[in-house]
Formats: sequence, structure tokens, C-alpha cells
Amino acid sequence: MVLNVQHPTPARHRGRTRLAPALAGVTAAGLLAAVATAPAGAATAHATSRSKVVTLVVYSAQGYDKLATEDFSAKYHIPVKLDDNSTGPLLTQIEASKNNPKWGLLWVDGATAFAGLDTQHLLLRGFEPNVAWNSLGKQAVPADKSYVPTGITLMAALAYNAAKVPNPPSSWQALLSSQWKGQVGMNDPSQSGPTYPFIAGIMNYLGSVSAGESYYSELKANGLVINPTNGPTLSALASGQINLALVQSSAAVGATFSDKNIKVKYLNPVTLLPSAIGIDAKAPKQEQLEAEEFASYVLSPAGQKVMQTGDPTGDSLYYPVLDGVQPRKVLPPLTGVRTQNINPYTWGPRENTINSWFDQNIVQ
Amino acid sequence: MPLSDPGQGSTSSTSAPSGTLVEDGPAPDALETALGGPAPMGPGRPGRGGHLQAAGHLSAGRNLLRARTVARPVLWLVLGFLILAPCACFLVLAISPRLFDQGSQWFTLSFLRGVLSGGTAVSLVNSLWVSCAAAGIGLSIGFPIAWLANRTTLPGRRFVAGAMWFVLLLPSWLPALGWQRLVQPDGVMYRIGLDWPFVTHAIMGPFGVVLLLGLRCVPFTYLAITAALAGLGQEFEDAARVHGAGRLGAIRLVAPILAPAIWSALAIGFAETVSDFGVAATLAYTSHFPLATYQLYTAVNGFPPSFPAAAAMGWLLVASVTIPLALQARALRGRSYAVLSGRTRMAVRRELGRRGRVLALGGVWLYFVAALAIPAFGAVSSSLLADYGATFRITLVNFRAVLDSSGVSGPLERSLIYGAVTASITVVGGLIAANLLARRRSRSTKVLDFLLLAAVALPSVVFAAGYIFAYNLPFLSKIGIDIYQTTALLLIGYVASSLPTNARVLVGAVSQVQASLHDAARVHGVGAARAWLRGVLPVLSKPLVMAWLLTFCGIFLELPISQLLYAPGSPPASVAIEDNLGNYHFGIGMAQAVVAVLIAVVAVAIVLGGYRLAAPAGWRRIGGGTRG
Repeated sequence: MVLNVQHPTPARHRGRTRLAPALAGVTAAGLLAAVATAPAGAATAHATSRSKVVTLVVYSAQGYDKLATEDFSAKYHIPVKLDDNSTGPLLTQIEASKNNPKWGLLWVDGATAFAGLDTQHLLLRGFEPNVAWNSLGKQAVPADKSYVPTGITLMAALAYNAAKVPNPPSSWQALLSSQWKGQVGMNDPSQSGPTYPFIAGIMNYLGSVSAGESYYSELKANGLVINPTNGPTLSALASGQINLALVQSSAAVGATFSDKNIKVKYLNPVTLLPSAIGIDAKAPKQEQLEAEEFASYVLSPAGQKVMQTGDPTGDSLYYPVLDGVQPRKVLPPLTGVRTQNINPYTWGPRENTINSWFDQNIVQ
Repeated sequence: MPLSDPGQGSTSSTSAPSGTLVEDGPAPDALETALGGPAPMGPGRPGRGGHLQAAGHLSAGRNLLRARTVARPVLWLVLGFLILAPCACFLVLAISPRLFDQGSQWFTLSFLRGVLSGGTAVSLVNSLWVSCAAAGIGLSIGFPIAWLANRTTLPGRRFVAGAMWFVLLLPSWLPALGWQRLVQPDGVMYRIGLDWPFVTHAIMGPFGVVLLLGLRCVPFTYLAITAALAGLGQEFEDAARVHGAGRLGAIRLVAPILAPAIWSALAIGFAETVSDFGVAATLAYTSHFPLATYQLYTAVNGFPPSFPAAAAMGWLLVASVTIPLALQARALRGRSYAVLSGRTRMAVRRELGRRGRVLALGGVWLYFVAALAIPAFGAVSSSLLADYGATFRITLVNFRAVLDSSGVSGPLERSLIYGAVTASITVVGGLIAANLLARRRSRSTKVLDFLLLAAVALPSVVFAAGYIFAYNLPFLSKIGIDIYQTTALLLIGYVASSLPTNARVLVGAVSQVQASLHDAARVHGVGAARAWLRGVLPVLSKPLVMAWLLTFCGIFLELPISQLLYAPGSPPASVAIEDNLGNYHFGIGMAQAVVAVLIAVVAVAIVLGGYRLAAPAGWRRIGGGTRG
């Protein structure tokens, strides 16, 4: 497996960023082995070319963010302060401080959240790193370039206990059959950020919100078990409380490391859940430039390597958005899998309403 | 002999209480200890005896008065900045979202109307009755345990206090998780062959929620009652027995003297329960039994967050504390409970018979099994299973991951320091506030009382969001005050959130201290500060240490404020743990929690051991209040 990533250069600052590509070999283990380390001299020149380096404040919910920010800081000589938190508190902070924001860059899963911030004019628009997107990446880039996709997970993957379920269901409709009564579990969207895109995805697939509501009502009538987040839902699967778990693909694949009976399957269509970077529209100009460099770094070979190795049983289990970057081998191939990309600007504003409905009618 | 004295009730240093069960004047034994010298020859009280009329003392008295005159506005200023401003900034959003750019309306009642209907109204009603019941359970379990540990020869009584601290150390979601793992379908109970669905239904429902929250209230009752018992001498029981009262009669006499502590315990229990999020988000949530804090959380944590809806719920939670306050005020009106004086005699432990020992020990054990052993089982088992609980295969892989990963020690160290600094500041503030609350009930103390309890009832997330609104205003940045996302604001938030509970815990002990202790020291010619240090501090040292630990334990694994206010790059332990629990690394998160709790236990042991070693024997004896 060869890593062949086009050298990322911020579109609006082409020529200023001069990362020297240093692609290394590839390991047999299947992980990326291309180590693209910017020469110290280049990085230094890079940093000193700016008038005054400021501290970049990164809000992130990614499992590999600590390694990524440390690596970026070392290579670019830009000090970074990391607010490593769950997505919910990060968005709460951003909304509460929007009169006087203190963040520079947000890195979380879910395009709907970014679309919501963009609608409020809280995101810098028009920035796109100069990279070669693959088909997943092209689907995830917004028209106004207000956020930058960095990877894709799928919502929801079907994790099942192969020892108990030799023939798992093959469609969303099949989950409603009496054969699976009381055996299906999923997360609560009010506690699990990635679950809303799944709910919205089903509604999008079925053609309307009401059709989706009917589907979930039938699923509930069939004994749907709701747990707060991926961890407890997978725990319920492992303990035998349920036999089919609808969770984020990275969590489902991660669970196969610890429980060999757990297998993963995608039902058609499955909804794309991009992880993305957004830049604070009100941040100082210098911090915005540094945030753009960070986004470019993340999509560089060095950044992709950190993303694919930094959280090996968690967030690293994503599908890359760049041409030439292969997903980790443990991930099920997407060949034959129908994916759908819900319009975050359509479904984002409905999030609270749909989550409230779900909470009152399905969770309770 | 009446306990109450309508029209009296002042325990200020300038007017001595009369009509209480104790007489004024310093007593030999306690004061000898407190002052380190022989007891004074006779009673000397300001305004009564002539000893304090000396010019030098009058001058010192004026200085003290001046200091108090300055201290009160300063305290109100601090409370205003720490508690009032952030809470007001958040709560005002319910009626004026536009103020902080959280909506288009300058004035609206729609959010307040909204929370009085549908699911939110149901959750509020649930929260109210659950809080009442939990506070009652806390009292009915905590009072006997405090009594047994402090006034009887209960075997193992020395471990009770430590175990109570252990209970307080555990975040409330941990017991909920432990119970859940035990009784849930396909849980441990079923796996070991106990097919008891009725237990599952009982625990995973309103009963279980009330039970767990009630168990959580027990340490608050224990602390309040223990502190009060420490100041309650043997003389009251002796007096009752001398007059022919049996054991029950003696208890009937003594229990009302403890009323401030009892009401404090009930009020704290209610407020802590109504603001609890750990159980609301775990057991109550899984049991489909909605509580108000969870609804508030979903409003704040949804996207986009609805701060006005959360603020409307916050209003109702604040309003809810009027229930215990009104009851408390009604019960305590016009009475004085200053029983701790120089004449306080050390109580004698009651010898338990064999049957009594077995029953008492069994009851105390039962409590700790429910409150500690089961949660410990839940946490430890989760941290020892690497396969999400699919098998009972025990492994240390999660602990290895915790110890191997870099950056684990930083958050733990930070939390230890944050806890210690916050506790130290809070104890001082709490003592001042408790002093005010324990004195004559004026309008300002009533407002203070309400403010402090209302602050306890507000979920921490309200504080945290309120701090962002209040201290991240653009004009503050323009004048160079940029404290949002700094450790300073995080510590201020911690202090503000823990001060109310701290003050409420201390008020029971402080209200027992008679002015004679301080005055007697002044009679012997020492200055005001030294008189307090030598006359009052010894008596309050143990409650103060307890209050310090209470805050330390609460802050060490505090989450909501930490999540929203921590300085980027310096995460405390709770944020690091939550990061793992909420994502993919459930086992590692639980292992981190276990390690953190163990470290905190060691810290508590060091403090308690340090007190035992460093405090003069007399301090401990007064604080202990018992012999035998």
C-alpha cells in the first residue's frame, strides 16, 4: 500500500507553505508508513516568515488530536492550546461565547454542526486546502468552503454478535421483522452526537421526516433498546442484552478488537459522517492563517499518519477523503456499499426538533 | 426547660444568648484546652461583666467592629461577582435571550411557559418529589449512623468517617453504573443464576433512583450531624436522665437541639439531589424516568443549544429550594441553638449490648455495601473487562493503557492542586458565610441563606455557562480582563459552586459556638484574631477539616464546570476520563476513574491522618466530643 498524497498547500496561501515531502516506505501491517516530516529548516523559515506567531486555540473531540497538535506544533513552530472535549461541550462553549469567541479552530465529527455554525456566520468561508479529494471527500466539501473534511465514518454500522446471529439482517426494513424483536439497540441522539445524522439519514432515505418517524416508531414497537452512547450500546451487545447494535462505524470496528465475536456490516444506504475542521470567522487574522496551516497539515501525509495511528481502536478507524490514502485494512471495504450524504444545511436546522421528537416518542 | 426563646436568638459577640439550655460563661475543662492555660476565675462577657470594659479592649473591640463592618460588604461583593452575576447572566436568558445574542426577543415569557408543559413539567415534578424523598432517606440513614459512630461503642466506628468520605468522593454516576451492571437484564445478577426480575424492575425505576440519590444524601447528613454532635455535650442527656427520662426521653430532648444540623442536612440533601446530574443521566435515564437536570442538560447540550430553555428550567430549580428553606425557617424561627460553650462536657459513649452491636453493625454495613461496595464493583469490573463485559475474563489491559499513556499524570496532578486550592479558599469563605447565617436573622442573612441554597440547587452546567456569559463580555476583553479559558476563572467557578454547600455544612457547627469562647480569650488579654484562633478555632477545627475535604472531594472529579471552563492545554482529570467514557474507550475511562478515586482516597487519608498527628490533642477532643 503506497501513500500518495498530493502535497497540501492552502489555496489562498499557495507558495508560502513549503512542506518538503518525505514519503517513507510502507509497513506490511497495513498502517500508513509514509512519514512526511517537514525539515526543521523549512518549518523554521515557515514560522519566521510570519509577522508574529500567536497561539492557536484548537477545540477538538478527536481521539488523535493531542498527537496531531503536538506534531503540528513541533513541525511548524506554532504554539497550540488544545481544548480536548466531547463535541457537545465544545459546541456549547462556542455558542455561549459567540459574542467574544476564544477559539481558533474546531475539529469534530458531523457536518450538521458545522452547517449550523456556518448559518450563524461563525465560520470562515472560502478556504480549501489544495489536495486531491477522493469521491468521499468531494461529497463532503461544502459549497461555500466553510469547513474542511478530514475523514469519514459511517452512521450507522450494524455491529452484531456472529456467534448468536449467523445471518444478520440485510436491509433497514428487515430490522422491523419479528425475528429481531427486542434485539436491536442504538444510541440516544441527545447524548450521542453522531446519532442525529443517522436518524436524519434514515428520514432522508425514506423520503420525509414523517416516514422516518414512522420507521423509528415501528422499530420501537419491535423492542428497540436505547443506550446513551456507542460504548454502552456495544456493551449491551457484548453482554447479550441485544444482538444487533446500530453505532458509528469506527466504534463498531473498534469493538471487534476486543470481542472477536463482533462483526460489522453496512446496510444500504449508509450515511456519511465527515469529521471536519472549521475556522473561527472572528479569530485574529494571524490565528486564522495558522488554523488554515493546521488544516493543511492534517491533510498532509504526516497529518494522515497521525490520524490513522493516533487512536488505533477509535477515531483512527475512518475512511480517508484523499486520493491515494488507503483506509486501514481492518475497515470493511466500501465496495458495493451505497452511501448517502445528507445535506447538512437542510438537516442541520431540524436537529433540535427531530431530537426532541425522538426523545419524547422513542427514548421515553 | 424550654429550648426556644422567642425574641432572642442572637449569638453575636455583643449580646449573649439567654434562655437556652446552657448557661453562659467559660467552663474550666474546655477552655483550659482551648486557651492552653487554666480557666478564668469568673465569667466575663461583653456587656455583662466588667472585664471587657478596659480601654484597650474597647479599642480592640472597635477595631473588630470596624473589620466586621468592612467584611460584610466585601463578602457581598465577592458573592455578587462569584455567584450572583454569573447566575443572573444565565437566568436572565429565560426572559431576554437577545441580551447575550441567544435569540431575537428582548422580552419573552415563552420559555418559562414552555417548561411548565409537556415532558419538562413532568421531569420537574419528578425532581421535586424525588429530592424530598432522597433528603428524607439521607436523614433517616445518616442520623442513626452519625449517632452510632459518635455516641456509641459501635465496632469499627473509626472507619465510618473515612468510608463516608469515600462515598462523597465517588461521582454520583458511579453508584448508578454499579447498580445497573448488577441488576440490568443479562447483568451480573442474572449471570450468576439469580433470576430476580422484580429486583431489576425495582432498581431500574423511580424506586432505584430515589434510593441511590438518598444514599448519596447520607454523607451530608452524617457530616452535619457529626459536627453538631461534636458540640453537644453530655450535660443534656444527663439532665434528662436525672429528671427521670428514659433513653427515648433523652433522645427526644436532644434531637431538637440538633435541629439546625438536621434542617441543614435536609436542605442540602434536597438541593444536592435536585441539581444532581450523575444519576439523572444514567439510572434515571435508562429507567425512562426523566429528571429536570437531564432535561436542562439536553437543552444546553443540544445543537444549537437552547440556553433560554435551560435558563427557564434553572428558574424553577432555584424556586424549588424555597420548599426546604421555608420549612427550615418555620422550624427554627426564634430559637437559639448555641450549645457549645466552655462548659460543654464531653459525652460518654454508650455501651452497646451484643444484640445492639450486631444490629447496628449490620445496618451500617448494609449502607456501605449499597453505597460503596456495589459501585466499586461496577467501576472495578468495568475497568477489568476488556471485551465490553462479554465474558468474565479479567485483564489489566485497561490499567496498563492508563499507566502507559503519556499525559495521564498531568490531569490528575492538576485536579489535586485545583481541589486543594479551591477547598482552602472555600473553607474561609464558607466559614464567613456560615458565621453570618448563624447570627441573628436579618433580611440580609435571609437573602444570603436563599442565595446559597439556590446556588446549590442550580446544576453546575448553569454556573459554567453563566461564567462564560458574565466574564467573556467583549467590553471586558477591551479593558484587558480576559479570564475566560484561564485557570483563574476555572478556580473561581469551582469556588462559587462549592461555597454554598460548604457554608451550609458549616452553619450547623458554627451556630453551636457560643460567643463566650471568644470572649473568654479576650478576657485573658489576647487580641481579637488571636482570641478567635485560640478560643474558637480549636472547636471548629474538625468541622473545618471536614468542610475542606468535602470541597476537595467534590472538585477533584467535578465535570460540568471543568468541561466548559478549563484552560485549553490544561485538562483536569474529569475531562480526560469523560473523554474516554463518552467515546470508544469505556474500559480505559473506568480504569482512569478507579485510579483517580484511589489517589483521592490517599489524599483524604493524608489530610485526616495529618490532622490527627498535627492537631493538639485538645482540638481533637473538643471536636470529637466523646470519651471512650
